[in-house]
Order: sequence, then C-alpha cells, then structure tokens
Amino acid sequence: MPPVDEPVVELFTLEHVVVELGGQRVVDGVTDHIHEGHATALVGPSGSGKTTVLRLLNRLVEPTEGRVLFRGRDVRELDVHDLRRRVGLLGQHPVMLTGTIGEEVRVGRTDLADDDVEGLLDRVALGHFPQDRPTAGLSGGEQQRLALARALAVEPEALLLDEPTSALDPASARSVDRVVRSLVQGGLSVVLVSHDRDRAASLADDALVLDRGRLVERGHPRAVRYLTERSEDL
Amino acid sequence: MTTTANVPSWAGVIASISLVLIAAAVTWQQRLGITRELLIASVRAFVQLLAVGALLLFVFHLGLLAAFAWLAVMTVIGGVVAGRRARGLPDATRVAGVAIAVGTASTMGVLLVLQVISLKPEVVIPVGGMVISTAMTVTAVTLRRTRDAVSEQRAAVEARLSLGLTAREAFEPVRRASVRLALTPAIDTTKVVGLISLPGAMTGLILAGVEPLEAIRYQIVVMYMLLAAAALASLVSSRMAESALFDEGERLRQLVGASG
Repeated sequence: MPPVDEPVVELFTLEHVVVELGGQRVVDGVTDHIHEGHATALVGPSGSGKTTVLRLLNRLVEPTEGRVLFRGRDVRELDVHDLRRRVGLLGQHPVMLTGTIGEEVRVGRTDLADDDVEGLLDRVALGHFPQDRPTAGLSGGEQQRLALARALAVEPEALLLDEPTSALDPASARSVDRVVRSLVQGGLSVVLVSHDRDRAASLADDALVLDRGRLVERGHPRAVRYLTERSEDL
Repeated sequence: MTTTANVPSWAGVIASISLVLIAAAVTWQQRLGITRELLIASVRAFVQLLAVGALLLFVFHLGLLAAFAWLAVMTVIGGVVAGRRARGLPDATRVAGVAIAVGTASTMGVLLVLQVISLKPEVVIPVGGMVISTAMTVTAVTLRRTRDAVSEQRAAVEARLSLGLTAREAFEPVRRASVRLALTPAIDTTKVVGLISLPGAMTGLILAGVEPLEAIRYQIVVMYMLLAAAALASLVSSRMAESALFDEGERLRQLVGASG
C-alpha cells in the first residue's frame, strides 16, 4: 500500500506540459492532476497524445516545456530508477524478457522467494502454472498477465497501462481486464490509455480526454461527453 | 628496393590483364549488365594498388613516424566506413573510430612492447592494416546489429527500464547479442584456419619464399592479434553505442534516418 501523504499532494501533476517529438507538438500545454487511488483513463482519438502523456509519468518521455510532478516533486529531481520502480508500466504488446514464468516475474526483483512469485501469479490468475513453464508457449492474454505480475513484483505505487489489451483477442482482453479491475478495487492507482471507450468507461473513475495534444475534457466517465456520445464512433 | 623471388614481372602483370578480358567477355556474352562495372573496377584496382605501392615506398623511406601516421589515417577511414554501416546510430563515426583505434593500438602495442613484431615501417604498416581491417569489419557488424536491435527490441528494453533497471542492465541482452554475432565470424575463421584457407600473412610469406614453418609462426601471432583486436573493438563499440543511445534520463533515444 502506498503511504498516505497529505491529502493535497496529488499522485501526478502535469503543469503546462508540452512535448515536441520530431518537430511535432504531440502534447500541447496539458495541465491537470491524476488522483491517488483512482483509475484514470486517458482517452481520445488516435494521435491525440494519450500514450505520450502516459510515458511522461515514468520519464520515458521528457517534456519540452512544463513540469511533471510525482507526489509533488518534479520527476527530474527523483532518481529515475526509483521513479520507475514506483511507477510501473505495462505496454501495448506482451513482451517476454526471459525463458520461464518464474524468471519473468523476477526480472525486476531477483530476490523474490518462490512463495512470493506464487502470490503474484495468483493475483494475475496464473497461479495454476508451474514456475518453470516456458513463457513462449503462453497465449497473448497469459503473457500480458504475466507481464502484469512482473510489473507488480517491484511493488509499484501506481501502474501505467498503455492499451494493454488492444493486441489481444476478446477473451484474452477480458481476462486482463478482470485482473486490472481487481487491482483497482484493491486500491492500486492505475492510469490507463485506451482507445476503447466502453472499456475506459467501465474501468475508470476519472477520464481525461485528449485531442491533438490538448486536454479537452475531464471528469467522471459517465459525465464526459467523449465517452457518453457514441455517435461519432469510428 | 630489391625484388624478391617468386613475384611476377611487369610483363607478367600486363599478361594477367588477359584474365580481366576473359571475365569481361563472359559477363558481356551472358548479358549480365555488369561488364562496364567489372572493367572499371579492374582499372580502379590497378591504379589504387599502383598508388599505394608508390606511397608505401615513400612512407618506408620516411620512417616510423610516417608509418604510424599512415595507420592513424587508416583508422579514421575505417571509422568512417564502419560508422556509415550503422547510419542512424548517434555518433556512429566517432564510436567506430575510437573502437578501431583501441582494438588496434592495444593489440599492436602489446606485440611491439614484447618485441614479437619488429618496430619497422615495413612491418607496422601491413600488420596494422590487417588489424584495422578486422577491427573495422567487427565494429561495423556490432554497430549495425545494435542499431537494428534498437528498433526491433525497443519494447523489451523499455519494459526493463520500466521495472527500474538501469540503462546498462536494460540494454545488456541486446549488447551481448550484438557482440556475439560480430565475433562469430572471427572465431569461425580462426577455427578453420589452415584447413579451408591459407590466410593472408602466411600466403604472402610463402609466396615470397619464406619456409612454411616460419610463415605459420607469423600467421599464429597475427591471428591471435586479430582475435583480440576484434574482441576489443566490438566491446568498445558496443559500450560506446550504448552510452550514446541513452539520454541523461535513461531513455532509449529515437533513431533518425536509420536506413541502409
């Protein structure tokens, strides 16, 4: 569980953040907060800068202008390894880094005992697999859940999810969603990028709507026009 | 300079031009569309070697300092060539140049200090040339493989970074694979030396009339030196490439214009 800071200190704060990549303004003056203990969805059409905003939060992207704060401190003042252990990231495609399930969970935490690994696998609904099972034979959904266990192994205070189900079939996507939902209900702060409005609406407590790098709406998923109006879908 | 035995006369060289004509006739008859290129390449090789021969003669007369200057120029050229193979990798030319220089200077340095090879222009230049050329090839493969892996394995590297691993740790599997790949041909060549091919130094010495058992002594030294130079150049280039690939926030840089 994350330590309870003074209530005024937000988990993440973006202050007038601009990101230019390859001469293009991908994020254009975003200012907002991401609350502790919430599931926050970053939504918007493709190319709106959702993923870039997400990657700002664990410093995989640096702002060209403005600041990103984690618990009130500029991320550039924090040790970057420490920041990335406290703010985990799960990418779009399942990426396996080792040969077996047990090794995979331990990539960021080589000291984990078998029981700890077991516990993590249970959390992502992979408890029935032996730890020496090769990662290569797992389905996309299983690999993505294993990647989630790998991220949880370093005990992050927040988890960033970059469309973690977009590369999966519907059944696998649901299996990942179930795990994410249980993590959110367990109190983990989650920031989720999704192009799927239904998924975003069903998982999140907050939604930030981006369009061409600008923050155009924010609020509860049921109150945000982008998520309630489906007419302009696709 | 006196001509050693077993070397063709100029008349012989002129006669060998007939072989070029045979090759040209074959490509022309088969309509391969490369006859012109083949002829140009042959003329070019003739002129280049003639120029190098004359230049070497001149450098040998100038002495050791000129020989080392020559090697320095070759190193720079090697760096440019190897760097070009890894276009898109930040600082590729400088990285390649330094890697080749380290590989060459340290191996030749050891052999010169131990007086295994003699400190004479006519030894330093050809031996240095072999080392530089090996180091260049290995560096080019290392850097090219590293560059390609950056695009292919970006997600894996960023997944490791996102677990709090250092840039060095996150990049280690990529770096090792690149070095391994680059060194494999050098190791294979060493394995089959004498079985499949008679290597350059030995061939040259035998042609020049040196006893085979003497010639192999030279070859063994050269071979071990080439192995060490290859390993060092690959290691240095991969480490330097790694440093250049990550920024101060331990982010893997985006490569620009990484084609070819």
